[in-house]
Amino acid sequence: MVLGNYKSVVAARSTDNEILKGAQDGGIVTQLFAYALEEGIIDGAIVAGPSDEPWKPEPVIATSKAELLAARGTRYTLSPNISLLKEATRSYGLDRIGIVGTPCQMQAVRKAQLYPIGMRDVPDKIALAVGIFCMENFPYQGLEAMVEDHCNVKLESVKKLDIGKGKFWAYTERGAVAQIPLKVTHKYEQPGCHVCLDYVSNLADVSTGSVGAPDGWSTVFVRTKNGENAWSKAIGAGCFETKPIEEVKPGLDLVKKLATDKITKNQKTLDERATFGVGKGLRNPYL
Amino acid sequence: MSKVVEISPTTRHEGHTKLVLKINDEGIVERGDWLSLTPVRGIEKLAVGKSMHQVPKIASRVCGICPIAHTLAATEAMEASVGCYVPEDAMLLRYILQCANRLHSHALHNILSLPDMYLPGTDTKINPFTPEEPVRSVALRIQKLREVGQTVGEIVGGEAIHPSNPRVGGMYKNITPRAREKIYDLAKEALPLARDHMEFMISVFKNFQNRDTVEVGGMEVPVPDTFGFHNQGYMATAPVYGSSSLDDDPTWFPERWTEVRPWDWYMGETEIDYDEPNYPIGGTTPAGNKAWPQMEACMGVPLYDGQPVEVGPRARMVQYRNFDLKGAMGLQIARQMEYMDCIYGMMEAADALNTSGKVLADEIPQGDGTLGWAANEAPRGSDVHLVKVKDGRVRWYSLLVPTTWNFPTCSRALEGAPWQLAEVIVRAYDPCVSCATHMLVVNEDKRIVAQKLIE
Repeated sequence: MVLGNYKSVVAARSTDNEILKGAQDGGIVTQLFAYALEEGIIDGAIVAGPSDEPWKPEPVIATSKAELLAARGTRYTLSPNISLLKEATRSYGLDRIGIVGTPCQMQAVRKAQLYPIGMRDVPDKIALAVGIFCMENFPYQGLEAMVEDHCNVKLESVKKLDIGKGKFWAYTERGAVAQIPLKVTHKYEQPGCHVCLDYVSNLADVSTGSVGAPDGWSTVFVRTKNGENAWSKAIGAGCFETKPIEEVKPGLDLVKKLATDKITKNQKTLDERATFGVGKGLRNPYL
Repeated sequence: MSKVVEISPTTRHEGHTKLVLKINDEGIVERGDWLSLTPVRGIEKLAVGKSMHQVPKIASRVCGICPIAHTLAATEAMEASVGCYVPEDAMLLRYILQCANRLHSHALHNILSLPDMYLPGTDTKINPFTPEEPVRSVALRIQKLREVGQTVGEIVGGEAIHPSNPRVGGMYKNITPRAREKIYDLAKEALPLARDHMEFMISVFKNFQNRDTVEVGGMEVPVPDTFGFHNQGYMATAPVYGSSSLDDDPTWFPERWTEVRPWDWYMGETEIDYDEPNYPIGGTTPAGNKAWPQMEACMGVPLYDGQPVEVGPRARMVQYRNFDLKGAMGLQIARQMEYMDCIYGMMEAADALNTSGKVLADEIPQGDGTLGWAANEAPRGSDVHLVKVKDGRVRWYSLLVPTTWNFPTCSRALEGAPWQLAEVIVRAYDPCVSCATHMLVVNEDKRIVAQKLIE
């Protein structure tokens, strides 16, 4: 069960060229939220919007397509999206919240729904939780070091960042491409990521990521009844182009392999925590 | 020969109190002492030295029914002490919060009062938990009104219980246009419900006052015409919101306030020599026990112009609307009449609000130790917080909470009532005893003295 429970999995991309232009892969999150906003499935979505610093995301509540478009693209650093979860039901006055996030953030959403500690009114207001695949994340200083020192590129001039094919890639506005092997990025990883046992956002309504699908396309897992409802309506409205996952390369086998690798490696880290000290260990949140 | 009967604990109000009653042979109260037994938590003492931003958040935790009152009074007392004027849109948000809290609190109190009351024209007492009509619809209506109050409070205040949005200098956040629409829609939904509910509740309370007798634990008890009357004055600072020492014309006057100790005001040690095992539920304190109100009371006795005064809905109605109904039911009726103010209040403030206006003062001074005070018209009456802030820290702090004012007044209002109905009078004041219990006591010369208990 390294890929979690799901009803269906496809390769997909948005049919909206405007969305695809700045999207990381198939524009799934932006397109799905844009459709859900238009249809009233959600009345606002918590997304990682731009901030004052280059490539540093800031959680925002998007209530228009323009705000969603501004949040396109992967920022390989932390965006505390859950910090707005309660506020969305308060001063923003939302009744149906959309939220995007990494696997850990989907876990936070579900935990808040089942065990709402200081989270009054949150449980019944989550309308659509979209998860993204995530292998690991970096603190902003780590990202700065990787891009500015190792790739030798100014963050301000970067157009797109990507991790794929064993490398970390930086593409500049003026067309240059820099890449470094992933092994030099390991020391910059956020230590908290090393105990994470979820690769493909198992707890989301719909989860999506690049692995498994060709460039410009995304792999999409439709997991819950809620997710299926929104997804099938969006397909019906012509929002997405899809292909059966079996017909694309590299397909689900690669997703499964990477998920297994992540879980195996991190489970080992977790196990080692139990005997970290002499005669004592470190805490295990899963116990 | 007078006898002493004690009802301990009292029920269907917030907090922990008891009634020590001297009664005559007919069971009519000659002297009543109603006192707090809620342990002193000492908010005022532990506030000293803490930051002016933290203390209102602590003060909020005095009470979970009216946390809005303590948050706003404390925040505005800090602002009054440091001389900080908050932007208009922040005040509008606070005003909506105030109305929302009063709506929920009054509706909640209906649930506590109704079991004493009869369905008008019948001998059936009202059980708010019954699935039978017409009470079921009333209970659902109360739930809806409370839900509206709490939801609106949550939107403008950040949280319905212990609001997170108010801060020294204004508010953390303005609301979005969508949130404002939501407030407006909720208020409109509540408006006809509140009107029907107000009329129903007033008819219920009038019916009680017009009855010759009521039944308590199998006893038929007469309802006197002067049920719950007292001759104390009233004190109110505004019909809805409040006042502070920053106002051009403040409506509360610290120099008219003194405070005495329970030792000076309550009965001495006495023996209980009358008991009634049928008093619902579980009987009164068995005869032979001792009571010592002046030692046991956990609050100060604040005076205004040297007298205990009544605060609350009727005080506001008397001062600002020429209201003239006396007695316990008069107070209940005044409370119901405030429903419409709450709803129109939030609608009008939402209309006036600029959702892109700024809600935080540009400059928040740190204070030089000047005394500032703010009065908030809490659901139960004037909640006055007094504070001295210096260099951003609280140097002195005192709370004068509505139920503290009402304790001695209500005690006098018990005289002339059958003892079995003493709790009905107490409930008319909507007591909030955890609010009332506090620590500092000031003598006639305005010097702080310790309680006799501690001396």
